[in-house]
Amino acid sequence: MAHEASRAGMIRNVVVIVALWEIIGRLGLVAGGALPAPSGILLQLWADRADYPQHVLATVSGSGLGFLIGNVVAVLAGLIFVLMPATLRLLRGVNIAIFALPPIAIAPILNLTLSGMAPRVTLAALGVYFVTMSATVIGLSQYDTRSGDVVRAYGGGNWMVMRLVRLRGAVPDVLSGLRIAAPNAVLGAILAEFGGGGRWGLGSYLLGSLGRGDPFRLWGIGLVATVIAGLSYAVFAIISERVLGTTRSVTLNTAIPAPASALSPIGRLALACGAVLLPFVAWWAFVTFTGVPDMIAKTPLGVIDYLFVGDQSAIARQKLIAALAETLPVAFVGMVCGLGFAFLLAVLAQMSPAVIRAVMPIALFTQTMPLVALTPLLVLLVGRGYAVTMWITISVTFFPAFVLLVQGISRVPQSVLDLPRAYGATAWTEMRKVSIPAALPYLFAATRLTVPRALLGVMIAEWLATGTGLGNLLNQSRGYLDYGMIWTVASVSVLLSVAIYYAVLEVERATLKRLGMQMVE
Amino acid sequence: MDRRQFLGTGLAGLALTALPIRAAAASPLAMQAAWINDAEFSGYFLAIDKGYYPENGLELTYLPGGPDVIPESTIIAGRADLALTTPDTTTRAIAEQGAKFKIIGAQYQKSPHGIVSLKKNPIETPADLIGKTVAVPPVNTMTMEALLKVNGIARDQVNIVPYAYDPTPLVRGEIDASLDFTTNVPFTIGTLGEEAHSFLLYDHGVTIFNDTVVVTEDVLKEKRGDLVAWLRASRRGWEENLVDPAAYPPQWADTWFAGTGRTIENEIYFNTAQKGLILSDAGVFAMTDESIEHNIEALSAIGIRATRDMFDTTLLEEL
Repeated sequence: MAHEASRAGMIRNVVVIVALWEIIGRLGLVAGGALPAPSGILLQLWADRADYPQHVLATVSGSGLGFLIGNVVAVLAGLIFVLMPATLRLLRGVNIAIFALPPIAIAPILNLTLSGMAPRVTLAALGVYFVTMSATVIGLSQYDTRSGDVVRAYGGGNWMVMRLVRLRGAVPDVLSGLRIAAPNAVLGAILAEFGGGGRWGLGSYLLGSLGRGDPFRLWGIGLVATVIAGLSYAVFAIISERVLGTTRSVTLNTAIPAPASALSPIGRLALACGAVLLPFVAWWAFVTFTGVPDMIAKTPLGVIDYLFVGDQSAIARQKLIAALAETLPVAFVGMVCGLGFAFLLAVLAQMSPAVIRAVMPIALFTQTMPLVALTPLLVLLVGRGYAVTMWITISVTFFPAFVLLVQGISRVPQSVLDLPRAYGATAWTEMRKVSIPAALPYLFAATRLTVPRALLGVMIAEWLATGTGLGNLLNQSRGYLDYGMIWTVASVSVLLSVAIYYAVLEVERATLKRLGMQMVE
Repeated sequence: MDRRQFLGTGLAGLALTALPIRAAAASPLAMQAAWINDAEFSGYFLAIDKGYYPENGLELTYLPGGPDVIPESTIIAGRADLALTTPDTTTRAIAEQGAKFKIIGAQYQKSPHGIVSLKKNPIETPADLIGKTVAVPPVNTMTMEALLKVNGIARDQVNIVPYAYDPTPLVRGEIDASLDFTTNVPFTIGTLGEEAHSFLLYDHGVTIFNDTVVVTEDVLKEKRGDLVAWLRASRRGWEENLVDPAAYPPQWADTWFAGTGRTIENEIYFNTAQKGLILSDAGVFAMTDESIEHNIEALSAIGIRATRDMFDTTLLEEL
């Protein structure tokens, strides 16, 4: 019953938003009419209907295949990481590097080394891997140890615990991972198409349409991309709604988790070194095995040579430092804002679920609307200053953080919430004393998740709107055929993401240890 | 060259000598275009449709470009044999990175790049750019810098912002001008209810070609005959296409131009506007000594040490 009421509320909210949008569009209130009315977009969509099927088919098949491959690898990897925690430590560097790879930097490289559909499938797969892998690891490690104790008491081993408790317990987490991953796959595929030079795909269509100055067409393409992403999101949201009821604990586990497996200091050191070295080994292997000539594909040594040894290295360093000084402060502020916004909304959503219904459609829309189409509009709205960078950064960081935080807050068992309620606490006290502390591990996880996205958001804004910083440097270097700089920017941005990730991790470890909570991987 | 390829070319060579030319096995050749399918590449589409490449013993693979496709990269990686490039990037890569490229022809005698503004707020000369905001595609930053340098304007006197090939900011007055193909964007500006004003960079000291036909030295050595055949077939395609620029684009609405999101009227405008930039008394793709000299001068003004030996005119001479 409540369920139906909530659905009706969702529909009502969407109707209100669309009606408002129509009025704003008709009256040309936003950016001198650059935001078109939905009716006009639909009319243009109908006029272009013959163009769409082949483009949609290309995008759906590319992103679908990437989604499948990326997720199968991610779930298997998550399983292995939980069964053998040493592998997680060893591959942490690789995992974060994959997540932090800026798609705008690797799209041209993928387009060069792979052919046909492979670049878009790879970019889509890379876009989903990290999200699903971390969701799987979270799900498998955040299980109720008491259920495990029951299985063990009856003679079950690790594998039985895995099969009967942890795998089942992980299902909602994996599903929420897939939910975030689905739009990522679509975006990855579109981004690769945008630069790939293929004939078909929504990205290629968008590119051809950009020069027409026709906002109806651009928004139509954005709308179709959004619908594809939204449908894939909805499928997993519905499945997860059906599944969640069976796996929630009824009471809170009060056992403090045992410290991680005791490793000798030498073993730890070896793992840490391995984690640092492995991404470079993988990079080296990729460059070697694809057989792309040295001039285009730089190995780690090639980058060091470019940046510190070669005769142009002083100029290269100077350019890089100037770009970093422009990019980093904005990325930091944007990340804090996006995260704060997500946290605020997640808390609000828990206190009044109507908020989540009002915000979700907008959040999903901003998330899946191709940034290449959204950015020109944002430029007309807020200009080419820091504001546009801020907006884009918040929009790319907000959504994954929000989903993760809502997940964390909603997983607090009912009985724990009953306690403050029995003592007459207000909803806010309940939130403050129970839900927010319980969601703390998720806030940290969300922060780590947001770091590379913030950097990426800033770079996209710089590339398309402001013409400053790392994003612009990357794009200009392509014009100069300065492959050394392309690889340098890509590797420096990954290294930075990893460094900040570890800084957050240290704070997280200290805080959660003090509170006796388990870390969310 | 691996064994199979070696055998393949060997057999093709045998076949070529043993059989009448009409039945010769076609040798594969791949070309990388500079952009997505539009009128800029009409000559090739026509030559493909009319079978001029097979007639010249070629089996052509045509690869469209896009904003992330760096044509030079495609030939370095060996995924295409020849690419259409901008000469400033190519010559700079040769001079500064030791890239082994040769320019064997030029589609545009005069680059279509120009400064496009609105008639109601026209930018008539490079000097008018001072204090204005100009949108430039980041990959063309060098070309813009060339214009400023040649005309004695300091880089910081002009506000350069990134350009995403969307004329909306120009029409809305958010920017004052853009660096774009003068053969293309004025049409769109017209459909948006404004009138465009433009001048060619070529007419203001940036005397360079565009869509230069570039190959690696290795390909030049191994496939010289095929490259000459490509030039011959492509020249024929271009000449035929430019006789009546309005004739062919409509025929490609459902083939080459299907699903690009652009209109056929736009392609006809483009095809018509580029006619004077492509045709040359010395034939399509020509690189006369005089025009090469102009290129070298303009490039040296922005610090690119272009030299005469980067341009190989001997293939054109065989046509």
